[in-house]
Amino acid sequence: MVERRIDPITFAVIKSGLDTIVDDMAYAVMRTARSPIVRDVLDYSVTMCDRQGRILSQAKTVALHLGAVPDAMEVVIKRFAGNLHPGDVVVLNDPYDGGMHLPDIFMFKPIFHGGELQGFSVVVAHHCDVGGRVPGSNASDSTEIFQEGIRIAPMKLYDRGAPNETLFTIIEKNVRLPELVIGDIEAQYATCNIGEREFVKLVERYGAEELNRYFDELIDYGEALTRAAIAAWPDGDYDFTDYIDGDGFSPEPIPIKCRVSVRGNHLYVDFEGSSPQVRGAINSTLSFTKSSTYLTVRCALDSEVPNNAGVYRCITVTAPEGSILNPLMPAPVAARALTGYRVVDTVMGALAQIAPRKVMAAGEGGNTVVVLGGYHKGSREPFVLVDMINGAWGGRFNQDGIEGVTNPSQNMSNLPIETLEARYPVLMEEYALREDSCGPGEYRGGLGLVRQYRLLADEAVLQVRSDRYVNPPYGLFGGGPAALSRNVLMTADGVAEELDSKITRNIRAGTVIRHEQAGGGGYGDPRLRPISRIRADLDEGKISRAYAERHYGVVFAGEMIDEAATEARRAAAGGA
Amino acid sequence: MRQARIGVDIGGTFTDLVLLDSEGRAFFAKVASTPDHPEQAVLTGVAQILETAGLGVGQVVEVLHGTTVGSNTLLQKAGARTGLITTRGFRDVLEIGRVRTPTMFDLSWTKPEPLVARRYRREVDERTTAGGEILKTVDIDQVLEIGRDFVREGIESVAICFLNSYSNGENEAEAARALSEAFPELWVTASVAVLPEIREYERTSTTAVNAYVLPALRSYIERLETGLRDIGVAAPLLVSNSNGGLSAAAIAQEKPVFFISSGRAAGVVGAGRLGTAIDERNLIVFDMGGTTASASLIHDGKLTRTNEYEFRAGISTPSRFIKAGGYLMRVPTIDVAEVGSGAGSIAWLDPGKLLNVGPVSAGAKPGPACYGAGGTSPTVTDANVVLGFLPAELAGGTLTLDVAKARDAVERDVAGPLGLTVEAAATGIREIVNVNMARAIRAVTVERGVDPRDFTLLAFGGSGPVHACDLARSLGIGRVLFPRAPGVFTAMGMLAGSVEHYFLRAFPTLLRKVEAPEIGKVVADLRTDAVAALAREGYPEDRIAFEFELDLRFRGQDSELAVPLGADGFDAGALREAFLESYRGIYGYASRDDVEIVNVRLRARGISAQNLDFAHIEAGQLAPGEAVVGRRPIYFSRDTGWVDTPVIERAALSGEVEGPVVLQSADTTIIVPPGARAGLDPVGNVVVTL
Repeated sequence: MVERRIDPITFAVIKSGLDTIVDDMAYAVMRTARSPIVRDVLDYSVTMCDRQGRILSQAKTVALHLGAVPDAMEVVIKRFAGNLHPGDVVVLNDPYDGGMHLPDIFMFKPIFHGGELQGFSVVVAHHCDVGGRVPGSNASDSTEIFQEGIRIAPMKLYDRGAPNETLFTIIEKNVRLPELVIGDIEAQYATCNIGEREFVKLVERYGAEELNRYFDELIDYGEALTRAAIAAWPDGDYDFTDYIDGDGFSPEPIPIKCRVSVRGNHLYVDFEGSSPQVRGAINSTLSFTKSSTYLTVRCALDSEVPNNAGVYRCITVTAPEGSILNPLMPAPVAARALTGYRVVDTVMGALAQIAPRKVMAAGEGGNTVVVLGGYHKGSREPFVLVDMINGAWGGRFNQDGIEGVTNPSQNMSNLPIETLEARYPVLMEEYALREDSCGPGEYRGGLGLVRQYRLLADEAVLQVRSDRYVNPPYGLFGGGPAALSRNVLMTADGVAEELDSKITRNIRAGTVIRHEQAGGGGYGDPRLRPISRIRADLDEGKISRAYAERHYGVVFAGEMIDEAATEARRAAAGGA
Repeated sequence: MRQARIGVDIGGTFTDLVLLDSEGRAFFAKVASTPDHPEQAVLTGVAQILETAGLGVGQVVEVLHGTTVGSNTLLQKAGARTGLITTRGFRDVLEIGRVRTPTMFDLSWTKPEPLVARRYRREVDERTTAGGEILKTVDIDQVLEIGRDFVREGIESVAICFLNSYSNGENEAEAARALSEAFPELWVTASVAVLPEIREYERTSTTAVNAYVLPALRSYIERLETGLRDIGVAAPLLVSNSNGGLSAAAIAQEKPVFFISSGRAAGVVGAGRLGTAIDERNLIVFDMGGTTASASLIHDGKLTRTNEYEFRAGISTPSRFIKAGGYLMRVPTIDVAEVGSGAGSIAWLDPGKLLNVGPVSAGAKPGPACYGAGGTSPTVTDANVVLGFLPAELAGGTLTLDVAKARDAVERDVAGPLGLTVEAAATGIREIVNVNMARAIRAVTVERGVDPRDFTLLAFGGSGPVHACDLARSLGIGRVLFPRAPGVFTAMGMLAGSVEHYFLRAFPTLLRKVEAPEIGKVVADLRTDAVAALAREGYPEDRIAFEFELDLRFRGQDSELAVPLGADGFDAGALREAFLESYRGIYGYASRDDVEIVNVRLRARGISAQNLDFAHIEAGQLAPGEAVVGRRPIYFSRDTGWVDTPVIERAALSGEVEGPVVLQSADTTIIVPPGARAGLDPVGNVVVTL
């Protein structure tokens, strides 16, 4: 029950107006960007903040970025206090100064009206390369931040409308694909301008003071709905631990441990007991750890809750300094997204004990990143393919998981095979659902994907970041875990080799790389899965006969399922 | 001898017909739709309108048709049993899609079922590269084996989409030919025949939709043609496509995916012609129906078109960068933003007591509470009844509205819980639905960097005229136009349409590197194709209008802007300037980078001698009404409260009247609010100045 002191109609109009602005902005990035990772895969995010830097509205873009905006915004506001002017644009990417990892360049444009600061357009984009030792700047086997590319502290890219040519030049000279990187920065800039233009219209229509009163109300409304949801959850401490397979140097599993504590209408999430920071580049900044946590809690709330700063007020996130979830300089962080995914899985596991109908069993464990960098045949023209493989959802209350879907912590797309082949010296050999990769359950997980590449260039650097190689996506409430992921390399002369989950190496023409992704975990006792649904999965070739026998206790009579025998076998095994 | 062209638009409730005779007179008819056999209503209507016009079947020279058979087949998932044949390794492209979700933080979302089940998605050995080289020819034995299996399984229609066939379609065509020859009972759609463009998911999905709706649309058109012949109408049947052009019925039967939004587009085309007739070059076209409202833009005399859209439960969101949860079609379409808000949309409160309207609609059944047909939830129509915007009788007295029931519903579900008066709550419902509908208008204006205040709003559809003036005011629009007979405007649009063909040639190169003769050759080739195609429909070259465009973008981008290629030949410098200007207008910024050409496009239009001319409509039948029918109180806003408002018969309007006033006709109610003025323009449209 929320009481408001304001006009409910104007309130709804302003809320919808803000949603429209970020929609417009997200569309503009897609239309103007140059690199496939931004324009096709949509690895960017867009948000609008008020003059205090509070998030007002978020576009349907990468959620993992969005929750990290408040910390970045805070750095910008402190650094440039009293020194922001119309026409200024601030950028940053340094993980130790407001950023997350170097490829993600944040851009902020302060918006002015009547000589006063009114708000900020914010666009975060993942750039296809920011220099460093490995093409794509995303490698998991770097050991210090200095290997990962160019670091940009919060700086003005535009000063009162004038471009900072020095900064532009430094960026241009330090990345492998300057046209794409500068082109994407221009797309961010164009988008900030669209945000500014539309936000100013709101200010003109309602006046700054009136508008800010509604912003306060909108954020309070987000907070009130969140608090109401948390208050309905039973007080207590809920623990969960999940693992990352290893950091690429040591095979030792890396624990991510959380305690979610419900105290009245406030939620505390503490990561005490998680691994110390690791040698490889999967350390996650605290801002990113918080972002991963916020979005997971947000999934357990009702869909009406607006996505603004009010939600964050109700959640306190802590992680020990020097841990993988709050690392210290100069820890490498380029492949930190993986750790974010595992934070999502871990917090989801704790929330499953609180809100079992809102969560899902573990998904594929985060997208797999495959990077191929080198030079086109017979030319000095470089290429960097950054490909992201998504994904599967785990089983849910009353519903199976989903196959061929973005991880819920993002909202990414995939790179069309024809676009990929037209642009890169690669022949794709398979892009398919992976049979039997789902976790069994009354509601089964989604199937993982298979993606297979053949290199056509003379040579290239291959870098893969994957996981769920040893520790499978978990099931919930009796549901089984999903199949493990796999990477296989076949040389042109037919020698096959099982790869590790995280690798960087040189490969030659004709080499085939195959990734088989983990599926989603199951939800509920597999013996309760209705035979009709098992039959449908068999008919669709999503599970094999052996899988049905092993996980669902199905008994076959020839080609057909023997229903009576199946029921008897399931009953004997203690099912329904 | 008098001749006639007849436009027919089938809606959920009514089938609308407009007849235009060779003397320029227009006749209207509205008959009840027959959803199970839509052609029956058409045949009834044709007979009726001919009688009204005093014409015989032999005098009909053309029947123009907008059909919802395509969209209904998709909506109800009632299409053919469909199979898909793809390159080995890629049968799941259709199901994987582009992997996005339409909402965030919602783990209960579920992906729609693909149109072709996995077991009917089969792979064959074959391979073409991005550069068009055939690495492996197609294994025809495998294709035939799949065909045998499909026939055994009762598959009726087959889509074939091979990787990179946009670059070289030989393997795909070979497979299609072999399958069609061996299995004449199967309908076969090869992807490049429908969409010769890069991106395998988009092409596969478009091809699958085509295969899925093909048998239904094909047989519907056959029944309609037979039916027309049986009643003696020998005239050719032309069907309106999603892009608002007319095509021979045979094309709709082969490529139905181009005809999914058949009817809706015709309304926008009509609006374009109306705009030309009255020299209004900037129009926002607004159509409000029972469950949805849509908007489209006519800017500088040009209709806005898009090359891709998603069909999801009949509602497309204005947020067009999402690819999820719908059946994607990459076909030229009039760019119409649609929102799930209409006259039947239901008002409700969320747990935080925020007032929402739609997207759930009471539809025709059970209908708004005031219909007294079983509906109890408060709808937009109920709010309009409570506030006096709608009269107690609709549709010329065939429908009586129950004010008490409307008040009860608004009181119980909205006013009570919010602690508001019924009037305030009903006003809130109207304002919210107006905001939602404004979203559709914003999507086609603001999103493109276009200021709606520079436009005139053209409103039609049964409910559009009830909301148009408020909507215009909220967007700062100063003029609103209501055409004659807004209720049958879409059918009139068909009479204003022309036969159109679209041609596209990929021409990937940097703009500054192109020599004029290279473009000249492509232009000449496309022109030859167009002349041949239109000749088959009876248009000689001197009756064809050609519009050439280049799709341009900055190097490395994925989205293009179309820039007209003028008649004075190719000028790279001028084209770059035109592109930069258009780009700057939208994004407030333009790069210094190279501009690249992607495609050369041609739209070729047959110029008909007998198109409906909005500048000279003579109504064949209009009942002259009394000047002032009566008065009723209307609650315009919280500021005005109840205002005693005169009601005038629209047909009797002459000169200018001051708002508040209601202009009433059998098919709609035009609300002219206080402070506004209404008058007639020279061709009979009502013009309201705010």
